[in-house]
Amino acid sequence: MADDKDVLRDVWFGRIPTCFTLNQDEVTEREAEPYYLLLPRVSYLTLVTDKVKKHFLKVMKQEDMEEMWFEYEGTPLKWHYPIGVLFDLHASNTVLPWSITVHFKNFPDRDLLRCPSHSVIEAHFMSSIKEADALKHKSQVVNDMQKKDHKQLWMGLQNDKFDQFWAMNRKLMEYPTEEGGFRYIPFRIYQTMSDRPFIQKLFRPVSPEGNTHTLGSLLKEMYPAAIPNEGQQKRYQVVIHGIEPLLETPLQWLSEHLSHPDNFLHICIVPTPTD
Amino acid sequence: QSMSLSVTPAQTTAWRRQIFEQLSERTKKEMDNFRHYEQAIEKTVWVKKGTM
Repeated sequence: MADDKDVLRDVWFGRIPTCFTLNQDEVTEREAEPYYLLLPRVSYLTLVTDKVKKHFLKVMKQEDMEEMWFEYEGTPLKWHYPIGVLFDLHASNTVLPWSITVHFKNFPDRDLLRCPSHSVIEAHFMSSIKEADALKHKSQVVNDMQKKDHKQLWMGLQNDKFDQFWAMNRKLMEYPTEEGGFRYIPFRIYQTMSDRPFIQKLFRPVSPEGNTHTLGSLLKEMYPAAIPNEGQQKRYQVVIHGIEPLLETPLQWLSEHLSHPDNFLHICIVPTPTD
Repeated sequence: QSMSLSVTPAQTTAWRRQIFEQLSERTKKEMDNFRHYEQAIEKTVWVKKGTM
């Protein structure tokens, strides 16, 4: 059987085949060909799409290009969510490649944060790591790191360097054996059926009685509708990194192995396809 | 109020196996037919040039 460490590699090297098409209302000098890319699930759209911008720059005038943003079937895509989360939330169960529309005009300020440079992504990423460590270790691990260690985490993600990232990230995944896990599990539960961006509350990996908390126990408390009643059809899929872990999976294990590089466990709840 | 489900050894095997199997299926579905696509992040290759 595969080793738990293999899971970390599978998570890191997950890719979404994507077709970028220019929005038809953009002003071009000639027809824009679509552009195909393998996007890392654990990265951010605005971090890995410089090539897309360069591609469309060939058929557009610089003055017609404002800030680039992305849309899938009418939904503006939030760059500050990991790519895999955007795909699982909005496009799981659809035919690949994922078809994303590229815009250079009419930036939807009500829906999206602006992303003028990669340093904005870095700030967002590091702030998530710090928030996660505040939950896991009262910020002790991240505060004990040096600036170069923080940079190593970021550069690992930016340059897709698994070993560089994990040499540092493993420190953020440690915990005292006697405690059975982190202080709290950094998680976010996303759904498209609500105006609320996501659910995030305090939840421990072990109950006060010493029982292991599982994905099922988290959902029972945070989103009970996601757990099918006996004999009833499953209404929702609970998706993490494109897979549906069993509800019996221990939450601490999930946090250590299926968290994104920002150290949060991102859980998507999507309606079960009806076909 | 916290709720918990106890984890038995048999379930442990089942949940772990399920994750390995699904990740492998995910790779097949999302990557096997698209390996000819360009990677979004190029791996940097450093070439050190010496002076003659």
